[in-house]
Amino acid sequence: MRSPLAWRLFHRTLLLGASLLVPGSQRAEWIREWRGELWHVRQSCLLPNSADRRSQSEVTAFCLGAFQDALCLRRAGRPDQPFFTGMRGTPQLCLLMMAAILASTYTIALLLPGVRAERNLRPQKVNPNLVLIRDQGTNNRAVPTISPSEFHSWEVRKQQYFDALAFYQVRQRMVGPVSPARARDNAVWGVAHASSNLFTLLGLPIWFTDAGTNASSDTPQLILSERVWKNEFGADPHVTGTLLHLGHQTGRIAGVAADDALGLPGRIDAWLLDPDAPDHEAGPGFVVAHLTPDGVAQMWGSCVSIAANGPDGSEYDLLGVSLDDCRPSTMSIYLFGLLLALLSLPAITSVSLGEYSVNPQKTSWIGRLQRWSLLAAKAALLAPIVYFISLELAYGCTRFRGESAICLQLASCFTLCLFGMGWILKDQRQRCPVCLRRVAHPAQVGQASRTFLDWNGTEMMCMGGHTLLHVPSLPTSWFGTQRWLYLDTSWGFLFAGSTRPTP
Amino acid sequence: MARDPKSPETKLSHTAAMILQALDAGFVYGFSIMEMTGLPSGTVYPAMRRLEGDDLIRSHWEKQSIADAEQRPPRKYYKLTPAGKITLEASRRRYPLLERLIPSAISGLVSSKEARSV
Repeated sequence: MRSPLAWRLFHRTLLLGASLLVPGSQRAEWIREWRGELWHVRQSCLLPNSADRRSQSEVTAFCLGAFQDALCLRRAGRPDQPFFTGMRGTPQLCLLMMAAILASTYTIALLLPGVRAERNLRPQKVNPNLVLIRDQGTNNRAVPTISPSEFHSWEVRKQQYFDALAFYQVRQRMVGPVSPARARDNAVWGVAHASSNLFTLLGLPIWFTDAGTNASSDTPQLILSERVWKNEFGADPHVTGTLLHLGHQTGRIAGVAADDALGLPGRIDAWLLDPDAPDHEAGPGFVVAHLTPDGVAQMWGSCVSIAANGPDGSEYDLLGVSLDDCRPSTMSIYLFGLLLALLSLPAITSVSLGEYSVNPQKTSWIGRLQRWSLLAAKAALLAPIVYFISLELAYGCTRFRGESAICLQLASCFTLCLFGMGWILKDQRQRCPVCLRRVAHPAQVGQASRTFLDWNGTEMMCMGGHTLLHVPSLPTSWFGTQRWLYLDTSWGFLFAGSTRPTP
Repeated sequence: MARDPKSPETKLSHTAAMILQALDAGFVYGFSIMEMTGLPSGTVYPAMRRLEGDDLIRSHWEKQSIADAEQRPPRKYYKLTPAGKITLEASRRRYPLLERLIPSAISGLVSSKEARSV
C-alpha cells in the first residue's frame, strides 16, 4: 500500500473488524474510544500524508491490539460457565464429548441414504445354492440373455445341475389405480413379470401378505418394493388387496418385499407374479436356479459353468453366478481394520501406560479400577464412533460402490482406529493417577544438548495439586519412561484457589 | 477467585501496577500509558478494562466542545479511584522500582498539561 488513504482505510477496517467481537451494548463506545486513540497515534507516529511503511506498521500494530481488547471485553461480558470451567480436563468431560461425537455420527449415519441402503441390504439372505444364469458370452450382469423358450425347455427336462427355476423380465409399465385412487397417476414403474415361484425359490419374506386371500384370488399378485411402498403408498400397512393397472394387466397388491434386497439385476419397483410367465413375445429375461448337489460341486468361487441343452437339442455353455452375498459385511470389514490397527499401534506410539501398571503405591484399588474403567470406556466409545464414520465415508457418497466402498471403509477404519487408539493411550498417560484429570501447563525443563548428562523433558502439573508428571524428551537407560511425582500437603498453598477433587 | 478492590492487600500484576502508577503520574489516556510504559496496545487496554471493572480506575469522556476546538475526536480519560490509590500504595511497597520507572518529576509535568485539556 503506497497511499496514506489506503493505510487509513486499512486501519479503520481493522478496528471495525475487531469491534464485531465486542458485545453489542458496548460496541459504539468502544469503537469511539479506539478511533479517538487511533487519531492520536497517527498524529504521533506519522508525518502528514506519509505512507512510510515502518510508521504505518506501528499504527497497524496498535490497531491489532484492538482485537485483544475486544476479546477481553467479550470474555468479560459472557456469563460464567462454572459447569464447563469446573469440568475442564476431567474424565467426565472427556467421556461426555466422546458420547456427543458418537451420537452425532450415529445420527448422520441414519440420515445418509447410502448408509441406510447398505444397512437394509445386508440382513436379507436368499436361500443357499441359488444362481443367476446368464449366457457365458455376456459379461454385463444387467443384460438379460435367456429367452423364454430356453427357460421352458429347461423346465420340462430334468437338468443335472439345477432342480428349480424361476424366470423374470423387467418392463417399464404405466401404473394407474383401479380403486381406490392411492397410487400416483401415470407413474412409470419397472415391473418384473416373474414366475409365481420366484419368491418361494428365493426364500425371501413378503411383508403384509395374506395367504388365504392370495389363494382365492385369480388376479396376479403384485409384490411392491419397499421403496415404492414408502414413496407411493406412504408405508401404509393396509396396502394389500389394492388393485392396480399395470399397462394392459391388472395386479393385486399381495405384499411388500425388502428394497433391493434380492441383489437381482434390473431396477425393479414391483414384481408381478404371473402363473403364465414368461411371455414368449417379451424377449430375453433373467433365470434364477437352485443348484443340485452336482451343481454345487462344480462351483468355483461364486460361479459355476453350466452346460445346458437348448430347445433344438444343442448343448451350449452358461454361467451361473451365486446370489449369495459374497461381499464381506461392513462389520467384518470394520473388525479387520481394527485388527490391523491393533497390530500397527506399537509403530506410532508406546503402548505402555507409563507408571500406571508398575507404581501402585499411593492409590487405592478403587483408584486403579477407575483408571482402567476410564480406559475401557474410552475404547468402548471410540469403537462405534469409528464404525459409523467409516460407514459414512464409504457409503455416504453414492459415487463409491462395491469394491471401492469396501476399500474406503477398510482404509478409514484402519486409520481412525490407529490414531484413535493412539490418542486414547496418550490421553490416559497424561491423566493424574489420583484424580484422573489431565495434567496441564507443560514446561520444558533442561537442555536437549545435555541429554546424556542430565534429565531434560517436559513437566506437567495436575491442577488438583496431586501430582507432577515428568516426561523425558529422549528415553534413556536411567529415565526410560514418564514418572509421576506425588505431591504432599506442603504443596497445598500453590493450589489454594483451585478445586481439589477428592480421589 | 474474586478480588476485593477495597482491600489494600490486593495484589496486582506488575503490568497493572505500572498502569496505575502511570495514571497516577498523569498519563490519563491509553496511548500515553503505552508510550510511557512501553507496553503494547493489546496489553494496556484490556488491563485498563479489568482495572475499571475492579473499581480501581474510572473513565470519562472529554467534552465534545474541547475536541471540536482542537479539530480532533474526543478521547476517553482515566483516573484513579480512592481504592485504586490505596492499591497503588500497596503495589509500590511490593514493587519498589515502580516509582523509579515513572518518576515523580514527569508526574507533575504531565498532570498539569493533561489537566488543561480535560
